[in-house]
Amino acid sequence: MDDLVKTAPCGFLEFADDGTILAANPMLLEVLEYQPGELEGRSINLVLSVPGRIFYQTHFFPLLKLHAKVEEIYLSLRSKSGRDVPVLLNAARRERDGAAVNDCVLIPIQQRSQYEDELLRAKKAAEEATQAKDDFLALVSHELRTPLNAILGWVRMVRTEELDEEIVKRALETIERSAKSQAQLIEDILDFSRIISGKLRLDVGRVEPVDVIEASLDVVSPAAEAKGIRLRSVLDPRAGPISGDPDRLQQVMWNLLSNAIKFTAKGGEVQVRLERIHSHVEISVSDTGQGISAEFLPYVFDRFRQANSTGSKRHGGLGLGMAITRQIIELHGGSIRADSAGQGRGATFAIELPLMIIHNRKHVSPTTAEQASFTGRQNEPLSRLPRLDGLHVLLTDDESEARELLSAVLKRSGADVTAVATVAEALEKLQLTKPDLIVSDIEMPGEDGYSLIRRVRSLGKAEGGTTPAIALTAHARFSDRMRALSAGFQMHVSKPVEPAELVTLVANLTNLRLSL
Amino acid sequence: MNRKILVRNNVNLLGNGTQPMMFAHGFGCDQNMWRFVTPAFEDDYRIVLFDYVGSGKSKLHAYSPERYSSLNGYVQDVLDICTALDLSNIVFVGHSVSSMVGILASIQAPERFDRLILVGPSPCYINDPPDYVGGFERADIEGLLDMIDKNYIGWASFLAPVVMKNADQAELTQELQESFCSTDPQIARRFAEATFFSDNRKDLAKVPVPSLIMQCSDDAIAPLAVGDYLHQHLPESVLRVMQANGHCPHMSHPEETIQIMQNYLTESRT
Repeated sequence: MDDLVKTAPCGFLEFADDGTILAANPMLLEVLEYQPGELEGRSINLVLSVPGRIFYQTHFFPLLKLHAKVEEIYLSLRSKSGRDVPVLLNAARRERDGAAVNDCVLIPIQQRSQYEDELLRAKKAAEEATQAKDDFLALVSHELRTPLNAILGWVRMVRTEELDEEIVKRALETIERSAKSQAQLIEDILDFSRIISGKLRLDVGRVEPVDVIEASLDVVSPAAEAKGIRLRSVLDPRAGPISGDPDRLQQVMWNLLSNAIKFTAKGGEVQVRLERIHSHVEISVSDTGQGISAEFLPYVFDRFRQANSTGSKRHGGLGLGMAITRQIIELHGGSIRADSAGQGRGATFAIELPLMIIHNRKHVSPTTAEQASFTGRQNEPLSRLPRLDGLHVLLTDDESEARELLSAVLKRSGADVTAVATVAEALEKLQLTKPDLIVSDIEMPGEDGYSLIRRVRSLGKAEGGTTPAIALTAHARFSDRMRALSAGFQMHVSKPVEPAELVTLVANLTNLRLSL
Repeated sequence: MNRKILVRNNVNLLGNGTQPMMFAHGFGCDQNMWRFVTPAFEDDYRIVLFDYVGSGKSKLHAYSPERYSSLNGYVQDVLDICTALDLSNIVFVGHSVSSMVGILASIQAPERFDRLILVGPSPCYINDPPDYVGGFERADIEGLLDMIDKNYIGWASFLAPVVMKNADQAELTQELQESFCSTDPQIARRFAEATFFSDNRKDLAKVPVPSLIMQCSDDAIAPLAVGDYLHQHLPESVLRVMQANGHCPHMSHPEETIQIMQNYLTESRT
């Protein structure tokens, strides 16, 4: 062996076609823990790991024999004490004294090998994540298109055909239901994007869990009734208060309850329990529905997941609800778990939330949009909403259709409405008619809603400068809500406006008693 | 259709004889591995060489993960070629996993086969204690899959998609050929799984034709016990333990390989 090979800072190995080792340099011997002379004449299998032997026989040797060289082969060797030694090697084949010899240069790559393991893991995870997002995007498109098709289809029918009143009524119901479901989808997507960007924020106040649960039960009871599902509640009114965002907790309860109803067959039962356990409250929602298989249980709260994709077609939805639910609960310092005895045997979702530590602190009344919109009456018919008789509302919206719709909603509840299209007109009418309340769109050409409210707030009290105001915007983002509130609005409603929500907010804001 | 199959599997025909001798390569390589033994049979046989879909210069666009997730997909390749060339009375020479492919093909279409020559065969690579020694534990095979991943690391991100889309461009195929015997890492992985996780012990008794088992004396992939097991369970089988060691005697010891094959074929004729 040349001196150069002896002192080279890399391993050197020479072997014959039948695998007999002909030479090994000191560095290789050291790495593999053998003494000089110990390897010559032995089989190359001795220094290969078991997987390494298979790779040698199936890839390395055939390639070397056919191409007379191989480059950048990763192989794991085995040391005398049985340790795996990952190496990178190049090999070349030559004739010597009429026989073939194979020369290899080997570089041990322990750290690089670990790094490659990590890289491969990261690569696979990234590929899976991309796939999940692609699937999700496809699902979102499908889910958004479905209600849209219903809306467009019915609208075309109503516009082009002579339909009797009954069918028109049904058409409008379908359109409304479809639009609502689409609004809910968009809400979910926005929530989800807040979650992934870490921007989901809570507007925290003192919350009585029993109120949140009862309000949610009110909302879902029509759906339960329609399916003949019995809703039972066992609520301990002393379990509370907790510190939390009532809007978000309401969303969680609504999600758990509507899921329970969705996955429970006709005639089943859904039960809500609220109890105090040590220093936390536990809220559980149990159903007698289709249950969750043991394989799916660990993934219930994962994004984009829904038990078997064929089933997802049957139930629709984006599979985001549970991921959002968990995120909200965790932001509250709580936890959520799912249990099921298996498919067909019902499921239980249990939430733990910490009790509020200081019970007697003065509570700040809910005046922000977040809290005030917590009404739980989104499905109420207008007739059951608070009356706005004698109330004068100044409505500003540049879009005539929106203006007409909102005017109609407010007028139906008894309000007098002055509707205008521009900020200038609004300021003029404010002085003239002295309204009790302003409702204004934010996005308007020229001067917008922010400008309007700033100019209103700069006026004196006698000129209407303190008139309460509600902002309407198409963006439901947290930052948009914050901007509206800080500009001088008292409340914020995102479009499309729920008539019930608007009426309730107007009533709340003008301190009218709810005449339920 | 026939032509399509011949192109798909890169079928090459040589030799001056009439009886077909079909050579099937093992996992990790392609038909080139036979080039040291085929010249010895060219005068007496019609030699059929091919690459399985996913190996060598086969057409990658014909690859389907479903079809090739078990050995049966590879068996179909062999039978497709037999049909396309209308072969019968075949001497089938299979290396390693192709021994099992040949066994399964002969059970499915006994009328096409004369006999089987099995080079380094194993009906089951995983140990099944207490009665069967295959030579490997599942963890060893997982280690092999890991090694495949790492050796194809550049492939996965760069070469594979290019080649898959331009399967007809010669220079790319050329590059593929020289960078590795096998192809796409996903294909290599699936072939490894189909090979090393297969268990064809129950099929051995059904083989309708005589066979020669060429067992190397020191084979890390098919130990001596496996050769004995095959000999016991294959009807009309002859076991020859070679002086050659390793798993590829047709490449490392072509003379001995040729000699044993010729002796077997001559003896079986008389």
